[in-house]
Amino acid sequence: MLRFDRRLLLNFDWVLIGAVLAVALVGLANIYSSTHLYTNVGTPLYLKELTYYLFGAAVALLIVSIDYRVLLTLNYPLYIGMILLLLFALVFGKTIAGAQRWINLGFFRLQPSEPAKLILVITLASYYYRKETGKGFTLLDLAVPALLTGLPFILIAKQPDLGTGLLLGFIFVSMTLFVKLRWTTLATLLCGGLSAIPIAWKFFLKPYQRQRVETFLNPENDPLGTGYHIIQSKIAVGSGLIFGKGYLQGTQGQLDFLPERHTDFAFSVWAEEWGFFGSVLLIICYFFMILWGLNIAISARDKFGVLLAFGVVSLIFWQAFINLAMVMGLLPVVGVPLPFISYGGSSLLTNLAGLGLLMNIRMRRYMGTS
Amino acid sequence: MPPRPLAKINKIDPAELKMLKKRIDIAMALIIVSAALLLTRLWYLQIYRGDEYAKLSEINRIRIQEIAAPRGNILDRTGQPIITNRPRFNVVWNREDAPNPDEVIKDLAKILHEDISVLLDRIRAATENPRYMPTRLKEDIDWETLAAIENKHLTLPGVRIEVMPSRDYLYGDFASHLVGYLAEISPAELKEKQYASYQSGDQVGKQGVEKIFEQYLKGEKGRNYLEVDVHGFQQRQMQLQEPFPGNDLHLTLDIELQRVAEEAMADKAGAVVVMEVNTGNLLVMHSSPPLHLQEFVGGISQTAWDRLLNDPLNPLLDKTIQGQYPPGSTFKIVTALAAISEGVITPDATFFCGGSLNFGNRRYGCWKKGGHGTVDFQRALIESCDVYFYSVGMRLGVDRIAKYANNLGLGKKTGIDLEHEKSGMIPSTAWKQQRYKEKWQEGETLSVAIGQGYVLTTPLQLCRLTAAVVNGGTLYRPQLVSSVTAPDGKTMKTFSPVSEGKILGSAHSLGLIKEALVGVVNSPGGTAKVVALPDVLIGGKTGTAQVVRLAQVEGLGEKAIPYKYRDHAWFTSFAPAEKPEIAVTVLVEHGQHGGSAAGPVAKAVFKKYFELKNGNKTAPEATPPPVAPDEKEE
Repeated sequence: MLRFDRRLLLNFDWVLIGAVLAVALVGLANIYSSTHLYTNVGTPLYLKELTYYLFGAAVALLIVSIDYRVLLTLNYPLYIGMILLLLFALVFGKTIAGAQRWINLGFFRLQPSEPAKLILVITLASYYYRKETGKGFTLLDLAVPALLTGLPFILIAKQPDLGTGLLLGFIFVSMTLFVKLRWTTLATLLCGGLSAIPIAWKFFLKPYQRQRVETFLNPENDPLGTGYHIIQSKIAVGSGLIFGKGYLQGTQGQLDFLPERHTDFAFSVWAEEWGFFGSVLLIICYFFMILWGLNIAISARDKFGVLLAFGVVSLIFWQAFINLAMVMGLLPVVGVPLPFISYGGSSLLTNLAGLGLLMNIRMRRYMGTS
Repeated sequence: MPPRPLAKINKIDPAELKMLKKRIDIAMALIIVSAALLLTRLWYLQIYRGDEYAKLSEINRIRIQEIAAPRGNILDRTGQPIITNRPRFNVVWNREDAPNPDEVIKDLAKILHEDISVLLDRIRAATENPRYMPTRLKEDIDWETLAAIENKHLTLPGVRIEVMPSRDYLYGDFASHLVGYLAEISPAELKEKQYASYQSGDQVGKQGVEKIFEQYLKGEKGRNYLEVDVHGFQQRQMQLQEPFPGNDLHLTLDIELQRVAEEAMADKAGAVVVMEVNTGNLLVMHSSPPLHLQEFVGGISQTAWDRLLNDPLNPLLDKTIQGQYPPGSTFKIVTALAAISEGVITPDATFFCGGSLNFGNRRYGCWKKGGHGTVDFQRALIESCDVYFYSVGMRLGVDRIAKYANNLGLGKKTGIDLEHEKSGMIPSTAWKQQRYKEKWQEGETLSVAIGQGYVLTTPLQLCRLTAAVVNGGTLYRPQLVSSVTAPDGKTMKTFSPVSEGKILGSAHSLGLIKEALVGVVNSPGGTAKVVALPDVLIGGKTGTAQVVRLAQVEGLGEKAIPYKYRDHAWFTSFAPAEKPEIAVTVLVEHGQHGGSAAGPVAKAVFKKYFELKNGNKTAPEATPPPVAPDEKEE
């Protein structure tokens, strides 16, 4: 079944593996630090995360072994499966912190909005690959990808999970800008987008979402309520100083001052304990991985590979950028995890699968037409 | 994947690759810019404003819990503890730890013998407090309740016992007015400068030496540095700074003597003051009825307070320093000293007492209606002849009497280390002019000469006066505290006797008075023969202070006079006569007779004093000579 070419192994991307391993180690150590005091029952979370890593690595290996071009035929079944999962989550999903995001699989609670991001990347890459236009896309050409993005966006925003929903939007915009747009299309979209903001503010945002944005603009208004996250996170990051408080010594993280410290605010824990030094190291490592992903994109053997790799990179980049900017108080608090660092099986599996795709594309860059 | 052939995909064409590469370069540039933005932000937070955030994180995690310091002990002059500290157990409630609070509170109410609504009210009152702060449900539970709660510990989640140091009154209400009590600091006190280091909820001395010597007694609070989580719940103790106990206060009081005085006054309202005549140290300071100090622990209840306020015996008044009474015949000591010193009489000069003296158009009676006949200086004092002192007073005039009275420390505060001391009253012509814009009436001098009229003294003033007259003429400032010692035993401060100077009057005149005062107790006509002890020579002077003008109760039998109209009874005394050591002053409110009401109290004190001094040898009781029933001494 597997036509595994020995040449593929020669093309194995050790740089990418090295970068991911480095970030993964940071992630695991950090989860241990932020949860070891509070998990009294069941498997410690860092061990769970390690299990997800191993499982994810297996999934990635499986993906690597299958030529990515198969996705061109599988994209719509995958897309439909994703939509069904999102609908299922919305109807039967488990409510955690007021949001219906999870599907209980018994051994694992799947958050379908996570794989949805990657499936959207695959779908858009497939669409844009097929829809080749010399002079660039018109507004009408964009109707289909906009619909393809809009449907999961609505389902996810309804959960409600605005962060992931917006992320889909960012992926759509990034990938659409990457393929050629007509100038007129770009101008129309810009104007339309800008005028849509006040309408969305008024009609589509839930009160808590509006409050988050307002809080972001002025966190000290409500230091114990909605501004609490931002203030505590900034204190955690800032008090790390140059070399940090030391591993397991971060008071903000260890003492429960920092909310969601092993998930969305994992970087705050890292920054507090390892300081400017450790944070810069992590960010450099991270962005090296992202830039390396772009390198993979441009070296792909075909346009589908380029689009797919670019989509995966934009997925990881936007999550990382939004999360980091959020914990440092540059963006409002939206629930976007930091890939490979934040605790969470669904997110980790999705991102590892994305890396598997990158590796897949990288390894097949010299292959001929088959 | 054979069954599903891969889509036909051509390699990327070079022209398109070039275009895509350009866009990838743009994307790379944007990514690097965003990385730079994040790094700049990181630098801003961690380095540029890092110290600020580091400070914020410190405040965030450390809660300082203050630990009350054990207050200094209060000891008597022999070093025996009078007031120490004991642990006080409070029942507190931490709702976070209780899964089913309703059940627990119901069970707890039964154990505490409280109505469940009382407990619920307390919990409701505390809803505004931070969640980590336990709610106090009941203060100062007894051992039995404590044991019951400890036994049911497992079935009472959320219920805990809090231990606080609290005052332990080893001798109950012993010297209650003098030692005073503690209570929570009031908002008004918190604003005062002397309480700058106090916090709301602290216990502070409210009265007596507990208040005056607060700074010595309070000690240094300890601090518990607790690391807490965001909810305020304690995670671990980072540092414990033990409290430093307060300093011990050594009173001049003598436990044994004070207890004898308190027992003797048990069924009477009034005061007993005992002073060492050569130091001014107070051995006994008792005001009756005493305060029940236990009632004040943890705050006095409104009903108990109302009861104190409305009690006709006025327990809230410290009668030793705040009770102002006409001194009655005890004041004859002052008049006698003034008369002898001013030379208006000689000791041998005699006056005839026919039972009354007519002055102006008023008749001034002697307490002995039949009269004393011919009396000289000695007999006048011994038998307390009013007519003699009317005559002497007239010769002196009120201002000369006032001069001697003031000189003996009357009419002004003694300067004892207690608050709210009253100064008493010694009238003079100038005073009356100023106060009433009226001329002094000569007849009023007659009243003053026998300690009535406007004259008012406190028991402490009379005691000090007596001490000064018999110690050779030195007026000492009354002292309550002899020293303050640190918990390690080191002496921090000692209080030496403070002399306020020599009183007027030669040693000879003082000797004459002393001799007469011994006669009061020991000679056949003396008004205080009941006080005499077989092997110690006691001297003293009785006094009866009119509460209302005689006319209002005239004709009524002694028992028929309503309690509040009965005369106050005084007895001020000293012993041993040869070389006086202590002065004892007793006031019995509405006791009617100085000799028979106040005398026995003084006698009990003297007896105990000399017993203690002579190694607990009990002196055989002598049968007191009978007092003539038809005579009422003044």
